[in-house]
Amino acid sequence: MKEKLTILLGIGITTIVVCTFAYYIINDEGIDLFDLISIPLLIVMILFSSYIIYDKLTNIKAGLPSKDERLKNAAYKAGYYGFIAAIWSAVGVNLGYNLIFDKELRGGLVVAAVVLISGFVFAISYLYFSRKGN
Amino acid sequence: MKTRIKELRARYDLTQEDLARKVGVRRETIVFLEKGKYNPSLKLAYDVAKTLQTTIEEVFIFDD
Repeated sequence: MKEKLTILLGIGITTIVVCTFAYYIINDEGIDLFDLISIPLLIVMILFSSYIIYDKLTNIKAGLPSKDERLKNAAYKAGYYGFIAAIWSAVGVNLGYNLIFDKELRGGLVVAAVVLISGFVFAISYLYFSRKGN
Repeated sequence: MKTRIKELRARYDLTQEDLARKVGVRRETIVFLEKGKYNPSLKLAYDVAKTLQTTIEEVFIFDD
């Protein structure tokens, strides 16, 4: 029951993100530098969440658990790297933008960058650790 | 770390998926265990050994 609820929640959130993303792309008048960086990160995260949902469903269909101790460890490790990436991106994004363009980033964009970068790092690390073994 | 999981599995005519189902883990975890690429928790090692009707030290061989 809990696993089914998690999968349904995952499908719901992914659908909302895809719809919001599609709405943004359709209504946006131009693509700036921030979009060029953020859109690929977002696409990677959408693909990642779709893969996770598909992986869970195939395991449940085969009568196997969707998550075991190895994957839990992988998730903890990936979470740690995502957290470190969030801290460093909070400092680095504004600093980097300031050094390159000599301007300050708006607060909302810094938050968006932190969420996107930490999410991206989590997704990549999770996939790496889940395929690595230990 | 080396393991005798494959050999013991063959003795009881179990597939990786059968063993995974009995132990309650994913099939990939059994694959990594067989290759010696994953150090299991004591609980998982015990469950694997129990399913294969042997002891932990018979299944998992640690190199010094």
